[in-house]
Amino acid sequence: MYKIDPNTGKQKFYTTDAAKSVLSAVISILIGMVVGTLIIVIVGLTRDGITTKGMFDGIKLVFFGLFSTGRDAGDLTFGFNPVNMGNMLFRGTPLIMTGLSVAVAFRTGLFNIGAPGQYLMGTTATLYIALMLPTETIPAWIVWILAFLGGMIAGALWGCIPGILKAFLNINEVITCIMTNWIAANLVTWFFDVRDSLKNSQEGGKVGYILPTSSNGVETFKLGLDKLFPGSQVNGGIIIAILIAVLIYIIMTKTTFGYQLKACGSNRNAAKYAGINDKMNIIYSMAIAGALSAAGASLYYLSGHTEFFWSTYQMLPSEGFNGIPVALLASNHPIGAVFTGCFMSMLNIAGMQLKTLTAYNEYITDIIIASIVYLSAFAMIIKMFINNRQKKKETLKQEGGNK
Amino acid sequence: MVFLIQQTMLYAVPLMIVALAGIFAERSGVINLALEGIMILGAFTGVLFVRIMQENQVFVQEQGQILMVLAMIVAAVFGALFSLLLSFSAINLKADQTIGGTALNMLSPAIVLFLINLIAQQNVLGMAKGDAAGWFMIKPSTFGLEKNHDFGFLGNLLINKVYLTTYICIAIFVILSIILYKTKFGLRLRSCGENPQASDSLGINVYKMRYAGVTISGALAGIGGFTYALTTANCASTGEVAGYGFLALAVMIFGNWKPITVAFGGILFGLFKCIAATYSSLDINGDGVYMLAELGISPYVYRLLPYLITLIVLAFTSKSSRVPKAEGIPYDKSKR
Amino acid sequence: MAEYVIEMNHIRKEFPGIVANDDITLKLKKGEIHALLGENGAGKSTLMSVLFGLYQPEKGTILKNGEEVKINNPNDATALGIGMVHQHFKLIDVFTVLDNIILGAETTKLGFLQKKEARKRVLELSEKYGLKIDVDAKVEDITVGMQQRVEILKMLYRENEILIFDEPTAVLTPQEIEELMEIMRGFAKEGKSILFITHKLNEIMAVSDRVTVLHKGKYIGTVNTKDVTKQELSTMMVGRPVQLEINKAEAKPKDVVLSVHGLTVPSKVHKNDAVKNVSFDVRKGEIVCIAGIDGNGQTELIHGLTGLEKTTGGTITLCGQDISNASIRLRSQTGMSHIPEDRHKHGLVLDYTLEQNLVLQRFREKRFQNHGFIKFDEVRKYADELIKQYDVRSGQGPVTVARSMSGGNQQKAIIARELDRDADLIVAVQPTRGLDVGAIEYIHGQLIAERDRDKAILLVSLEMEEVMGLSDRILVMYEGEIVGKLDPNKTDAQELGLYMSGAKRNQNGGEVNV
Repeated sequence: MYKIDPNTGKQKFYTTDAAKSVLSAVISILIGMVVGTLIIVIVGLTRDGITTKGMFDGIKLVFFGLFSTGRDAGDLTFGFNPVNMGNMLFRGTPLIMTGLSVAVAFRTGLFNIGAPGQYLMGTTATLYIALMLPTETIPAWIVWILAFLGGMIAGALWGCIPGILKAFLNINEVITCIMTNWIAANLVTWFFDVRDSLKNSQEGGKVGYILPTSSNGVETFKLGLDKLFPGSQVNGGIIIAILIAVLIYIIMTKTTFGYQLKACGSNRNAAKYAGINDKMNIIYSMAIAGALSAAGASLYYLSGHTEFFWSTYQMLPSEGFNGIPVALLASNHPIGAVFTGCFMSMLNIAGMQLKTLTAYNEYITDIIIASIVYLSAFAMIIKMFINNRQKKKETLKQEGGNK
Repeated sequence: MVFLIQQTMLYAVPLMIVALAGIFAERSGVINLALEGIMILGAFTGVLFVRIMQENQVFVQEQGQILMVLAMIVAAVFGALFSLLLSFSAINLKADQTIGGTALNMLSPAIVLFLINLIAQQNVLGMAKGDAAGWFMIKPSTFGLEKNHDFGFLGNLLINKVYLTTYICIAIFVILSIILYKTKFGLRLRSCGENPQASDSLGINVYKMRYAGVTISGALAGIGGFTYALTTANCASTGEVAGYGFLALAVMIFGNWKPITVAFGGILFGLFKCIAATYSSLDINGDGVYMLAELGISPYVYRLLPYLITLIVLAFTSKSSRVPKAEGIPYDKSKR
Repeated sequence: MAEYVIEMNHIRKEFPGIVANDDITLKLKKGEIHALLGENGAGKSTLMSVLFGLYQPEKGTILKNGEEVKINNPNDATALGIGMVHQHFKLIDVFTVLDNIILGAETTKLGFLQKKEARKRVLELSEKYGLKIDVDAKVEDITVGMQQRVEILKMLYRENEILIFDEPTAVLTPQEIEELMEIMRGFAKEGKSILFITHKLNEIMAVSDRVTVLHKGKYIGTVNTKDVTKQELSTMMVGRPVQLEINKAEAKPKDVVLSVHGLTVPSKVHKNDAVKNVSFDVRKGEIVCIAGIDGNGQTELIHGLTGLEKTTGGTITLCGQDISNASIRLRSQTGMSHIPEDRHKHGLVLDYTLEQNLVLQRFREKRFQNHGFIKFDEVRKYADELIKQYDVRSGQGPVTVARSMSGGNQQKAIIARELDRDADLIVAVQPTRGLDVGAIEYIHGQLIAERDRDKAILLVSLEMEEVMGLSDRILVMYEGEIVGKLDPNKTDAQELGLYMSGAKRNQNGGEVNV
């Protein structure tokens, strides 16, 4: 079970819960990657037009896509690629945020599959504020802050809907989240459909996009990160995401508020019995989750150079759904989500490399991600397995000692 | 009017059959959130089968009905196989069923889009030749009659410009509902979703029953997915079914896990879905006035209506809903 | 013909962490009523589950009529004629009585159920043994007593010859217990063999021919009932002499602490109110016990009182304040502590550590938090104090995860938390359920001590001995109403049973205090 180090009085690292979580996450990731490799091999063997070399190139990219530097004389080359690195951090930012969103809800016993809808609501509010407030009269950094906060508020309100339905009517939040996702997708499309002034018509060949916020002079500070990773889109957003993760960690572990949220998640009846307002806590939790998802959208679009495809009524942003694997892999630990969020965006980048450099397409990474989610459904089992093995050893030792 | 009813049925039938899929899984005690994903896979495998058969010229257009039925069977088989992934994690590994289902919902479109892109180099996989109406729709020419033949009101309603899938699905729905309530198998399956400890003490193999429930569920969702793709997407697979699987789950909830009420719920939602899809060409009175289109309401309102109404109906029916008691709780033999 | 119908020889069954059965031997004669006696956790249910095929033993053999048999699952047991009425009924609530009886032993034609014949047979059996049931009613709508009859009919329908009754009397009134015993004697006379699991000595003396006693998973011995006394049996069961009576001084009731007037609480399952217009007072320095058969509104009454459920009528006054619509937190601050019925559902957050559980209500107090930040040192100090004072044992002290603690120690932790809050009113609901004698004695002692410190105690209990021994006043609930207010010194179990079954009620119902 638990081993206490006789010198320090603390648990030995490899027996702590954190170590087991990391271990089971690594196992999930590895198996997921193996699944991806298998598919590449199977497809490579069965389809004409994919050479053995092409197959191996595919496998290399799944594992080391982040370090790909293109092709040289027909061979893949690898090395430090600042563009990929920077973009990993940039694209990881919204994933960290939606991962935090899912994780916070999970801790309160709720499965927030509504992150895509919250993300869309955040996108819309942020873009609207950032583009409509005149930067001639209001300083751009104030507009930035207002747009960021506005997005969070929109997301929080949207997150409240399933929260309220769960708290007061005990309706399964998964169904309501899915419904609010599609409602959001239609609302957002409707909203932009009638606002032509926000659409990007300046650049030819680009149909259906909203103006980037930089057109109004609003963009996230770079903090010199662009010098570190030249050519990439990285900016201060990743720093803000990390700070928010730390903040969430403190709230969840050190405060009475976090204590209440977790009590509700772990045993809603007992929390209620103890005089904790279970209904309000469920709503708070969903509001925070919504705000976090929306903040992810704000940080992504406030970078200033990303454009939003507004006719989104038939598709939901993948950043929202991918918050689920980010949270699961991190065992719902806020700091862990920073790393797993970056890992997910690394996979995405590997997918892009696959698409441009081989005959395969980027959906292979979605398969890997889905496999990881499937495996993390029984991460608990893997942990229990590790526990049982340790317990067995322990009892064997004890019995041996008794005899 | 005929058009409206027929269109409504096209949308209602997949909802009904997939909601029934939900019933079979949940009454055996497993939450099947993966309905959406299974539908996507069913649609893809069915369409792919049609395409391969067409490419290899196994069937000619006149044999469209046979091809269609075979494609339904293919979709059912693959749906059932895919659902084994859920059964395995939920029943054998006792994993969280919500997460397991979500994983399948992510896995299915990923696999489907991956394969579609490999096969078609784009995000849509359609038929190799012709279209759904030409190959599969029942129309005067199916009976060797001329194009504008009038079958009378009932005839027009029931056998003109309809798909056989509608009737097959309704038949399956009725037969399975009877099995659920009138047979030994049905009785035992339902007991496992309510009190598996009791079932076990009476010598019923809970694991087997749950596997049966989920597998039937997978087959039905596969059929539902293909039917949806065939009748509303011109027999094409795009790696999504627009939340249809979740709508079916909602229909199941406010149908109180009972087939008859679920059938009504399915038809009601079919109507809303139908309005959302066809409002601009909907001529209810047959007077040439497209009433809904002329109201000038944004199309997005019609599109979000089914989802919004689902939310509202759930809010009103939640109090009286009767969830299978053991649903979502892994059965552990050692914890009695 | 072998002497014994069933022999279980040297059975050993282990679970992770404990040995539930260690070398246990049990021999059952044909036509006898054989009692299996032991405390909660002695291994009785495990042994019977082995016999019924629910568990596989690690060691030992089972013989039927002298021949060794292997019982791998309940189907094997049924084939051998073994049937069991489980302590927690194995019934499907939403099925009809008939469906429940035939489930697992259905007659079919082409897979379709043939209910007509089944129905006829069930009615015949019901007639023959005087087991009155309503075959078409849903199980959730019938009384606990009838549910038990359904369970018995399930065994008869399968033509079982060896009948196991696991704690069958816990849910019955004394009169119903009498009836059940009569039915059991009838079965024995017919040549059926009966295993009767219990921890109640009176019932053993009344009905059994022989007794096998278990203690902490070990076999103590088998004796003829007529050769032993109750005291001897209880010593065998507990491993030391026990006091069968609870000792306490005369109560000295003082001011009224809790006053309930006309309280009405709706039912969650049915249309009727679960608690109907109930009124009573509880004073300082007395233990008032709410007696009754499970499911007569006690749970709802307590939930209404403590704020877990909304009430639809009546007033609750605690320490002079009207708390009828107050939040749970406010009630608790006004002076109510609550030892809940279900320690896993309400009492503990099982994934939290012991120390986190010990401050479940108090974490907001200035002592334990500073501007919303928890003072972990203070929490630890407080937990250490309580653990020492109430002797709560666990693997790692304050940082033990509650889930990994034993049931008795979980309950002790709850008792520690609730008593230490020093509230004027202590609501204790089945505080000793499922615990062994040592823990029961401890908890009874604590409650009496609190009473003598002038606390008001409202106890809900289903155990007749506890009701009679611990309380200073008894209120009997039947179908949501208080039908009797009794003085334990002036009544007996028989009379109490009449009130509990609704056969008798006080003329002045719920209005006047005894």
